[in-house]
This record gives sequence, structure tokens and C-alpha cells, in this order.
Amino acid sequence: MRAIRITIGLLLIAFTASAQDLASFEKRTTVRKLDNGLTLIVMERHEAPVFSYATVVNAGSAQDLPGNTGLAHMFEHMAFKGTDKIGTTDYNGERAALAKVEQTYAAYDLERRKPVGRDEKKVAELEKAWKDAIAEADKFVVPNEFSKIVDRAGAVGMNASTEDDRTSYYYSMPANRFELWAYLESERFLHPVFREFYKERDVVTEERRMSTESNPVGRMVEQFLATAYSAHPYRQPGVGWPSDLATFSATDAAAFYKKYYVPSNIVIAIVGDVNAAEAMPMLEKYFGRLPKAPAPEPLRTIEPPQKSERMVTLHETAQPLYLEGYHRPAATDPDNATFDVISMLMSSGRTSRLYKSLVRDKKLAVQASGFNGFPGEKYPNLFAFFVVPSAGHTANDVVDAVHAEIDRVKNEDVAADELQSVKTRVRAGLVRELDSNSGLAEELASYQTLYGDWRELFREVERIDKVSAQDIRRVATETFVPTNRTVAVVESSKGGAK
Amino acid sequence: MKSMIAAMLLAATSLFGQVTDYRDVKTPPLRNFNPPVAKRIQLDNGLVIFLMEDHELPLIRGSAEIRGGARDLPAAKAGMMGIYGSAWRTGGTKDKTGDQLDELLESRAARIETGGGDDATSIRLDVLKNDFDFVFPIWLDLLRNPEFRQAKIDLAKTQANTGISRRNDNPQGILIRETQKLGYGNDSPYVRQPEYATIATITRDDLLAFHDQYVHPNNMILGISGDFDSNAMEKKLRDAFGKWAKGPQAPPPPPVGTGMKPGIYFVDKDDVTQANIALVGPGTLRKVPDYYALVVMNEILSGGFSGRLINDMRTKRGLTYSVGGGVGAGWDHPSLTRVQMATKSGTTVESIEALKQNVADLRTKPFTPEELSLAKESILNAFIFTMDSPDKIIGQQMTLEFYGFPLDYYRNFPANIQKVTAEQVAAAAQKYVHPEQLSVLVVGNAKDFDKPLSSLGTVTPIDITIPEPGPAPAPANAKPVATNDEGRALIEKARTFFGGKEKLAAVKAYHAVSSLTVKGPQGGDMAIDIDSTTVYPDREHTVMNMPMGQITLVSTPDASFVVTPVGTQDMRSEQRDNIRRELRLELLPLLMYADEPGRTYTATGSEKIGDIDAKIVEVHADNQTLKLWIDPSTGRILRKSSNVHGPQGPAEAVTDYSDWKTFGGVQFPTRYTQTRNGEPFAHGEVKTIELNPSVDAGMFVKK
Repeated sequence: MRAIRITIGLLLIAFTASAQDLASFEKRTTVRKLDNGLTLIVMERHEAPVFSYATVVNAGSAQDLPGNTGLAHMFEHMAFKGTDKIGTTDYNGERAALAKVEQTYAAYDLERRKPVGRDEKKVAELEKAWKDAIAEADKFVVPNEFSKIVDRAGAVGMNASTEDDRTSYYYSMPANRFELWAYLESERFLHPVFREFYKERDVVTEERRMSTESNPVGRMVEQFLATAYSAHPYRQPGVGWPSDLATFSATDAAAFYKKYYVPSNIVIAIVGDVNAAEAMPMLEKYFGRLPKAPAPEPLRTIEPPQKSERMVTLHETAQPLYLEGYHRPAATDPDNATFDVISMLMSSGRTSRLYKSLVRDKKLAVQASGFNGFPGEKYPNLFAFFVVPSAGHTANDVVDAVHAEIDRVKNEDVAADELQSVKTRVRAGLVRELDSNSGLAEELASYQTLYGDWRELFREVERIDKVSAQDIRRVATETFVPTNRTVAVVESSKGGAK
Repeated sequence: MKSMIAAMLLAATSLFGQVTDYRDVKTPPLRNFNPPVAKRIQLDNGLVIFLMEDHELPLIRGSAEIRGGARDLPAAKAGMMGIYGSAWRTGGTKDKTGDQLDELLESRAARIETGGGDDATSIRLDVLKNDFDFVFPIWLDLLRNPEFRQAKIDLAKTQANTGISRRNDNPQGILIRETQKLGYGNDSPYVRQPEYATIATITRDDLLAFHDQYVHPNNMILGISGDFDSNAMEKKLRDAFGKWAKGPQAPPPPPVGTGMKPGIYFVDKDDVTQANIALVGPGTLRKVPDYYALVVMNEILSGGFSGRLINDMRTKRGLTYSVGGGVGAGWDHPSLTRVQMATKSGTTVESIEALKQNVADLRTKPFTPEELSLAKESILNAFIFTMDSPDKIIGQQMTLEFYGFPLDYYRNFPANIQKVTAEQVAAAAQKYVHPEQLSVLVVGNAKDFDKPLSSLGTVTPIDITIPEPGPAPAPANAKPVATNDEGRALIEKARTFFGGKEKLAAVKAYHAVSSLTVKGPQGGDMAIDIDSTTVYPDREHTVMNMPMGQITLVSTPDASFVVTPVGTQDMRSEQRDNIRRELRLELLPLLMYADEPGRTYTATGSEKIGDIDAKIVEVHADNQTLKLWIDPSTGRILRKSSNVHGPQGPAEAVTDYSDWKTFGGVQFPTRYTQTRNGEPFAHGEVKTIELNPSVDAGMFVKK
């Protein structure tokens, strides 16, 4: 006992001696909320003449409505298509041509989806009119001009991602391109143009085929979420249901943009070789242009409590997979730190519960993990367990072993040294993140968006430090109950092949 | 009005005039930047060390790269690098098991990880600065004295076999793998596809021999960066490595082999809505004099969002989400030329034609000044990102050292790119891009294609069926097993005791009612009433009445399932295998099938059970070994020992039989007690047995 206490004490000393604490980061971080509501965070890091940024919009695929699933993600694609000045030979002409595309599409879509009394000849004519309008509009397009400007300037890692909770845009640039970046990033959200929309819809449909339809995990996860959630939009696939993808219009996407891409809903974090005092006036000039607009109404739907176990089985030629999830509160809940600790206990490293039991000792699985924030964290979400059974084992074979580990967490106090090992790794994990501009930019913007304060990135570690063995048992006992559980399995027609 | 004037004044006097055209944005020169330089040290024994101080965070990261990898192993050992790379770390050292290392390291948030690849193996270290002196000796010990414990080799094999079983589940994985085989040929040292059979042959001796052969200071490059003092670190490393003697040098890279004949190759996969497509052929080497022109050409083809491929295949035609590729230039062996994409099944042939056109256009569609300047500037302006962190710099230096390139190679890189002309890029395209040398590979669902693939030419199908494992190979040092006369005679006697060969052969089915008391999961005893019907050779129906309810287990060749109070589900594979095994290895069928070829009976000795000097017969049947203790004077079987899968995993089950009674002319033991791994497990009593009862076939059907 005494030896353990001394060891823990030494570990704590090792950490407090380091300068990587909140205070030192606060010194080099400047936060400014503009008059229009947009929040800018600049964190200085002068190791090399480069910077990274992340723009996080507090709207994701959970904001999609039925009939328009995939729209948040679709707008993200549109944000690469340029502006009224970039990507066009003549915006005035193009604007008129794009309006014609919308007009012809609306007429065509109305006729083709008539449930009764559809005139096929008329459908064909309207389709042709629409495609002709697209061909006319395409004449004004300078393809990929926006991306080419960014590439030419020396950017790396240019991409974006649409999650349930948020949409993020990011890349890294040489430090002398800072004003160019500010111009481009403000312009793309100030004057987006929905050019090549219907072609891009095809591209997104290919993305859906690649990430969801053509791989067993994608297929399983889509069915799982639609089962675990009855009402809340977390049940929807972010890339969209095929019928919606085949139908929604640029007008729909523009409406989404207008409602959600308001400055009070946007946080931009910049990390790197930037002098905040010099940069801020310039940033205000560019980003202050976004017009102030009312904040969108928060999501209305709350998932009703799940009262009975749910199950979905996929019969495939692929090898078996196992997924189960339990409803838990949103990330802003006071117990969030405890959930994070449970996840680490279950699946971080080779000393984790699931690894030791399923992978190492019973050899039932090659991968077994328990994780939070599935599919998002802003709203009540799921704590999920995912297992890849080893050759010769089916999904059924792993259930008891997973539940045995869950029962242990519910019924036995975690030993002090095991808990401390988790806490040590969480703290070290934060230290290890601090030398990446791009990683930091995304974290700062995300924490600012979710909690209203980037400092939560550091405070979260302190909260985790305070989690007790009792907290873990209480939270586990409340959460991991069969009536709160949804299960998805891939059953292989080839048996657990050996 | 006032605010508007104020705003205009503000705009006029502000330092940053707001720009309305991106071309008007001022770009000051990049500030003078001297990236940190790694210190290179070479010891007398050939070990090369790179050190880089980095005091931003209290961390130290290090890596040893050791020459020798999968390309140096024979095809018969395909997959060995994966086993080696895993078991190196998990197998621990002589005095610390891998599990002990896990606890020691993870409680300090430290990591030591090992890996193996085509041309090198590696062992890495990632620690908080204050833990370096504790972890470094462990890392050193693991580097030089890995134990490769068998249990962890077995674990790695389980994982490798699982990977094999899953390798056809994702079309992208199939594409990557088969592209490599087409490009280099199935026999290439760079194509080592693990199979169950090759994994099974890998032994601990193999791993130790590989380690002995390659882990020498003159084959190794060590790089360490982080929060330390270089001089102090150098001293520590000299102390640790200075006296280590040289060993044999790793061999030079082997020839890559010959790729498959160019053609159209097809893998049928019917559970996808997209075709994955690749064009593949020979590539080149990095050291070629026109390498920089090739870099620019590749950027024009596939750089960022600017390249021809993405602009044509994705943006213009909307055929794909992801497309890319180029002419590969390998560090020490020729790489491959590869272009790949995915498209919906209904545009497969259209996409192949468009993709081929884009490749052919490299030779025929002139590179415009705009394309050239965009490509060069993208590369040059992003160059800072190759050296914006100590980790990247030290990684670069280690790579250059490993492949024998000058350590200042990257200093000249920007100037060499700047010099590239349109003519040079065009010449590189003529030299390295040969459409007729490229094979087309398609993984997809042929029935949904827009046109048959054969419309493009002769199609060669590729069969990706995973070869099943053969029977488990006998362990290398197993004594050859053969029936001996004494063993055969004892089995005959046991069969006679049961009722004799003819009587046993006449048993087609039997029905037994019995009770069983078994150790429950919580340790107490659980009483179960059993009613079971067996139809030889392979059907069984067992009703078990337990305290918690009734369950019925049904096993047939077509299906194995369990009926419970809450529903019917497929039987777990272990349970199913248990039942199927016992259908042939329980006492009655053991003797019924005693004459089957392949079964052997070896008398190995004797042991006293009570007053009887029982003879032990080792039986090999169905890849299982079990033992019988037989009373030599009567042929009565007293005891059986076999391996089973129990609730806690594999176990040795020893069953003692007594109270023999006759049913339908055949003798059966009616009482038995069983231990598992030496602990009491169960005892049971058979109430009645009926031979050849009438059986309702419906009882075996899943409802």
C-alpha cells in the first residue's frame, strides 16, 4: 500500500514540474469575439514559419431534416467550389444561369416524383431542359480555382469533415500566406456559389458507396445507428440516405447555409507562427464582414429513453463483427470525465480490460474497444463496444466475454494503481498533442464550440484526475443495463472461417 | 451617414487594406528559418546515431531501424515479419514478460513498440523525459535479448490468421494487394502474401534466428529526439552500444521479379455497389537523373485538388470521389506505376476508358505553362512542411542514411524542382509512362457493369478464394505415432466388453435419459436432467432441464442451434465443435469406428486405478489425442482423458466410469465422474438407454 502511494506521489511531481500547463498556454493565446458574433482564437507557436487553422461551424449532420439528410455534408463540398470572384469567368452571367438550373430542376423534380399521373414524355423534356441549363452554367466555371490557389500557395492537409455535431475546415500554410488565407477563408463563407452542385451530388454518392455501401463496417454502423436512435437525428447517416442524395437541390443547400453559417455559430482557431497583436486587426477586417444574423434555433428533438434491448443482424459473406451501444448523456454532463475513464480502462493499451480478456487471454478477438461519443457528443450519445472476433469465432462467441468485463466495472472497485495508470496516460496524451499546430487548432476550435471555452481542453484533464472508483461503478451501473442496449452483428455465411 | 464616413476613413487609414482580389494580397517573403540539424555520430562498430534536441515539451522519442525484412525471407515463410514484429514486443525479455512490460510502461504512459516491414524492422521508444532512464534499459534489453515467448507467438498467429480470413471483406484491400501482385509478380520478394499454411510453419526458432542474423550495430540506425542534452545522451549511448561487436552485414536488396503480363484482370465481388479500379505497371528509382521532372509530372497528374486526374474524373465527369496515382520512384528498388479509383458499378467500363485516356494524355496532351507553374509552386511553397518539426527532420536523415543517399539531399531539392522545364516533363512522360505496359485490375460486381469487361479485351479472372488450412501439421519434435499390437489388442478387448463388433455396428441411434451434476459458474453445484437422442453418424438432439429453465441443443451437419426460453439462436462455434467431436469420440462411437483408417492405438504404459493395473492406450483420431485406461483382464474402460473447450477455455477432462449395465445387448457405464484440469467438475448417472429407437426427424429441424 505504502509503496503504491509513494509511486503515485512521484508521478504527480513529474507533472507539476512541467511548464505545459494551462497558465503558460493562456499567455500565448488571444481570444476575440467580433461584433458579428464570430470567435477567433490565435495561439502563438513560433517553432517554424508555418501555421494551421481550423474553422468549426456549430452545425453538422444532426441538423439535417428528413428529406434532406446529407445536406450539411453537401454544403461542405460546396465550400470548395469558390466564390463570386474565384471559380468563375463572369459571375453576373453565371448567377442567372444557376438560377435557371434551379428553376428547371424544380420543374423536373416535381414531375418525375409525381406518385400518380406522371407524364413520362414531360419528365424527359424537363430533364433535358435541366441538363441543358447545367451545360450553360458550366460554361462560366473555372474548375477548382479555389483549391488551386490554396495548393499553389503551399498548403498541406487541405480538407474538411462533416460530423454529426459540427463541420470543420482546415489546412496548414507557410506563415507568409497568412493574409491570403484570411481572404480566402472569409470569402468562401461570405460569398459561396453553388456551382457544379448536381455533379458534386454524384461525387458524394460515390463517397457513400465507398464508405458505407461497399464495406461491412459501414453497412453495420448505418443500421446500428438507425436502430439505437428512434427519434433523434443521430440515427441519420451523415452522408445521407440515397433517396435524399438523389433529390435535394442547390436551393436546399443554400437554405442550410443561410440558417447555420452565421458568425455566432463559427469559431476559427489559428495556431503557429502568427503574432496575435499584429494579426487581429487584419482578421477583424476580413471576418468582420460576415453579416450578423440570428443564431439558429437549437435542435428540438430529444431521444426518448430506451426501454428494451434492440438488435439488428446483418447476414453477409464478410467475416463477423460485433457492436453494442448504451445511451449516455451529452459531453457537457458532469459525468463525462467518468465516461472517459471507463473508456480508457476498457480499451486503452495492452493493460486494458478488453485487451487482456478478449484478445490476450481468451483469444476471442483481435480487436476489442469501448468508446464514447458515438456518433457525436454534443447531444446524448452512445457508449459503444466494438469487437472484431478472431478467426474461428462468431459474434455470438464474444458477447459473454464483453458482458463479463462490463459486469466487473459495475461490481468491483477499480484498483488504485489501475486508475492512476489511466490518469497518467490521459495527462501524457495531452502533452503529446501540444506540438502539432493542426491538432491544436482543431482541438481549440472544437472545445470552444462545444463548451464555449477552449480552456476546457486542459480542464478536462483535471476533471479526469478527480474521477473516483465510486464514480466509475455508479456511472457503469446506471448505463450498462440490457434495456439500454442496442446490438448489431455481422453474421458470416462462411461461418467463423478458419 | 456618419458611421459610413467613419468606416471609409477607417478603411483608408488602416494598416491592412482590405483586398477584393486574391491576386492583390501581399505575400511577404518567408522569414529566415534555420531548421534544427541532427547531430550524426558513427561508432566504430558501424552503429549510426542521430540526435536532435527539442526542448519544447518534456518528451523523448527514439527509433532503431534495422536492415532486414520480409523481402529477405523465403515465400514459404510469408507473414513471418508480422509475427516477428508483434511478438518482439509482446514476447518480453528474459526476465520480464510482455505482460509485465505492459504494466511497467503503461503506468508511466510510456511506449515501446516494434514492427517489421519489407526491408527493415524497428523498435521505438516514446517516453516522458523523466522516465527515460527507467525505460531506456528496458528498450535496450528488448532490442538485444527478446524472448519471443511461445504464447505470444501463438497470439500473433491468431491475429495473422484472422487477418487472412478477413482479407477479402473490403474491396480496397483486395485492390491494393492484387495490384502489388500484378506489378511485381506472385513470386516477388515484395509480394509475400501470408496464408494459413505459411503462418503455421513459423516457429520460435525462426524468429530467434532472424534476430540473430540481423540485429547488429552495423545494420542499425538509431535516431533520438527530445528534451535532453546531446552530450549527455551521446555518452549514455556510447556506454550502451560501444562494446557491441559487429555482425554479418544485411544483404543488398533482392531483384523485384517480373510483373504479370499486361492485360485485364478481374476479381468478382458481389456485395459491393462500386468497382475498384487500378492501372498498374513498372515504375522506376529515385536516383534516376530526371527524378525531379518526374516529381513535377506526378504533381500535374495527381497533386492536391489541382491534378488532371481529379479535375477530369471527379470534378468534370463526377465519376468518382477518390482518384490518384503516378509513377513510383523507389529508394532502393524499382517501384510501381499505379493509378486507382472507385466508381459505381454502372460506370465501370466508362471509367476505365477515361482513366486510360488520362494516362495516355501524359504523353500526348502538352503540359501548359499554367500546369507547370502550378505544380512547381505547389511543391516549392509546401517544402517548408518537410522540415517544420524535429521529428520530421530526424526521420528524413534516417531515411537518407538507410538508403545511402547524401545527407544534404534535401538542401538541393527546391533548386532542382525550380530548374525543371516543360520539355523535361514531357521527356519524362515519354520515358516512364507506357500505357501498353499497364494492366487493368477491376474488383467489382460484374452483373451491374455498364458493359462487359470483355468489351475492352481478353479478361483474366483472379480467384481470391482463401486456401483452407491443411490438417494441423504435427509438431516438429513429436514422436511418430503408430499403432502397436498391444494397443490394438486392448481396443479390441474393450469393444468386446461393450458388446462386440457386430452388435456395435448395428447401433444406428440411441436415446438416453440421465442426470448430471456440474459445477456452476458461481462455484456451487447445478443439477441438470438430460434427455438426448443421437442418430449416427452426425445428428444429436439434447434437452437439458436446468434450474433456470429448459434448453435444447441440436446439432446436424446443416445447422447447430440452441432453443432457449427466450428464443432460438445459432450455437457458439466452440459448443458446436464440442458436440461434433464427441459424436465420434465418446466411448460408444470411439469403439464403433475403431477400424477407421487414420486412427491409431498405442499402448504406452500402465497405471494403478484402485486395485487394477490399468493399461494406458493413447488414441489418435480426428486430429485429437485422448487416452484410455483399460482393465487388461476384462477390457473394461476405467477412465478417459481428453482435451475439451470449457467455460474457462481449453481444459484437460478426465472421466472415471463405473456401474456398467446392459441395454439392448450392449454394456454402458451408468455412472461417471469428471475432473477438469485436476479439479472436480461433474458427476452423472444414466437412468435408461434405448438402442435404435424410432426417431422423429422433425426434432432436428430449426423452427
